[in-house]
Amino acid sequence: MGSDESYNFVFKVVLIGESGVGKSNLLSRFTKNEFSHESRTTIGVEFSTRSVQMDNYTIKAQIWDTAGLERYRAITSAYYRGAVGALLVYDISKHLTYESVDRWLKELFDHADPHIVVMLVGNKRDLDTLRTVPTEEGKDFAEKRGILFMETSALDSTNVENAFNEVLKAIHKKVASREVTRGSICAVTIGSPIGLKGEAQGERRSCCKSS
Amino acid sequence: MARIGHGNGLASRDSKEKLTDDGRGSDPETEAQVDKYGFTGGAQQHHGQSAEEIPIEVLRQREAKWLEMLNSWDKWMAKKHKTVKERCQKGIPPSLRGRAWLYLTGGKGRREQNQGRFQVLDNQPGDPKWVDIIERDLHRQFPFHEMFAARGGHGQQDLLRVLKAYTLHRPEEGYCQAQAPIAAVLLMHMPAEDAFWVLVQICEKYLPGYYSTGLEAIQLDGEILYALLRRVSPVAHRHLKKHKLEPILYMTEWFMCAFSRTLPWASVLRVWDMFLCEGVKILFRVGLVLLRSMLGSQEKLKACQGLYETMELLRAIQPQYMQETFLVHKIIEIVVSEKDIEKEHHAQLRRWKETHGDLNCKSPPRMHGAKAIMAAEPPSRQDLRQRPTIIVDSPLAPETDGKRPEGAKENGKTKLEKQKTILAPQETVNPDLPPSDPSPLKHMTIQESKESLSSAEHDTYL
Repeated sequence: MGSDESYNFVFKVVLIGESGVGKSNLLSRFTKNEFSHESRTTIGVEFSTRSVQMDNYTIKAQIWDTAGLERYRAITSAYYRGAVGALLVYDISKHLTYESVDRWLKELFDHADPHIVVMLVGNKRDLDTLRTVPTEEGKDFAEKRGILFMETSALDSTNVENAFNEVLKAIHKKVASREVTRGSICAVTIGSPIGLKGEAQGERRSCCKSS
Repeated sequence: MARIGHGNGLASRDSKEKLTDDGRGSDPETEAQVDKYGFTGGAQQHHGQSAEEIPIEVLRQREAKWLEMLNSWDKWMAKKHKTVKERCQKGIPPSLRGRAWLYLTGGKGRREQNQGRFQVLDNQPGDPKWVDIIERDLHRQFPFHEMFAARGGHGQQDLLRVLKAYTLHRPEEGYCQAQAPIAAVLLMHMPAEDAFWVLVQICEKYLPGYYSTGLEAIQLDGEILYALLRRVSPVAHRHLKKHKLEPILYMTEWFMCAFSRTLPWASVLRVWDMFLCEGVKILFRVGLVLLRSMLGSQEKLKACQGLYETMELLRAIQPQYMQETFLVHKIIEIVVSEKDIEKEHHAQLRRWKETHGDLNCKSPPRMHGAKAIMAAEPPSRQDLRQRPTIIVDSPLAPETDGKRPEGAKENGKTKLEKQKTILAPQETVNPDLPPSDPSPLKHMTIQESKESLSSAEHDTYL
């Protein structure tokens, strides 16, 4: 629950990708600086937040995580609602998880906001010796699709901060340059229709406090 | 060395600590305590006095009653089902829980009618697609339970066997991740073959469609839960409506795992005792109790002003609302019946068809508990006969004068102790058991009960 911290924006970011690629550990590494070989299979929805201080504003990143198994695709529309960013994760040591990236992208654009910021994440970089997806391949694919790219390791923390920060910065850039609509009480969405409900951008909000 | 953290199920490690592959702390100084359920850590580990402690005499009496019931199960279910239900509500004695679940679910009958079937499935390699996904999940079920902690250990192996067998039994369904915790709970109480048949019964009779492609059944139940909440707690209902918090965002894990990942372990077992006896309405009642407890008053709602905050609140249910005695009491008290659920089911199904069209996955209608299942597939007396896996022939003549069973002390020793002091001359060991079983179990064959079906209930522990 929000403490006494105040923040300018709340950005909802979703983690998607095949089962077992490391979504839950990316979540825990970024929001709690924790990693576990013994995390549980995600069933339903998990989430956590972390506030990130940018140059002259604070972002509360609301990171959502769900089951990667094919079956669960049926219950995703609620999951995607209001998401302004997405990390599409694959496991660099399992080529199969990379092969389904196209399908995930399709689903993303079927259900999520068209302006959503997407980053392709090749996780488990610590398993470099077992690598089956060359870095260049992932990078090229991302470039062709017009999405961001990074390789990370939730296990040893490599690039986890960078990945999330880059996505959050990119979202902020879009938000700053477009009209913003208030969705739910604290969330920010990108895109039309136009209309701020009487609140200027950059105004300090301390919503969601327990008072 | 890895330090097992509490509260969130994640082991906390700082960058200096070596990351170990097994889930257990192997340093004797930090060796984790195993609670009475087998947990070495995690949020569900038993702490202190939060669970009820039943006096041992009461426990023994209950065991005797259960043994009697199991001995003439069909009679009890036909004529004294209300008593069976009450005894499930009181909690099944731990020593008989696995067996009781096998009987309650009709797993016993299925197993007897399909002898050898599990072995056939077990021997097949299985569809590699499913096996691959299942294998990825084996170390991610109750990692803080000693049975499942060791990679490649018996627990994980059995989990694979059971889940793989299911995908072969129902290839059109395959594997759904939420089946793993269900199977794991079962394996904590019974061997793989029994666990398989109980899993089958849960997936086919209690929660049909829950684990199938499309997950339509769980979505429907989410809508039913939300609709029922309106009557049970208008305040909570209004709050969820206002913040557009869809049921699927909070009830998915609850229902698909039958609360096995949500509640403290003592409560999980009590809920399952009732769920396997009375059916899915118990899951609905638990959900409603939790929602009402956390969101049921304006005071409580002050703390959650938005969708996300509400989700956080529901993710961290306060321990007092999940505590065994409180929860069981509320479950029994809340007025939600099978009829209510069926009625709402029809209404929601109609709504679904309007927005989504016909259901893609047409599951058979669900059975609301043990009695319904038994009525639909009546097992024979032969099927219901208990078949102990190890039989000990003792030179002691068995008691036939209807004396009180095991609890009775004679000459300062219990009957059981007497049996133990005499070496059993013959033992018939079940060939399916692993050969290296160091401690041969002594099993007393239970005599045909001379007691009538009416037995006074002096046991008032709830």
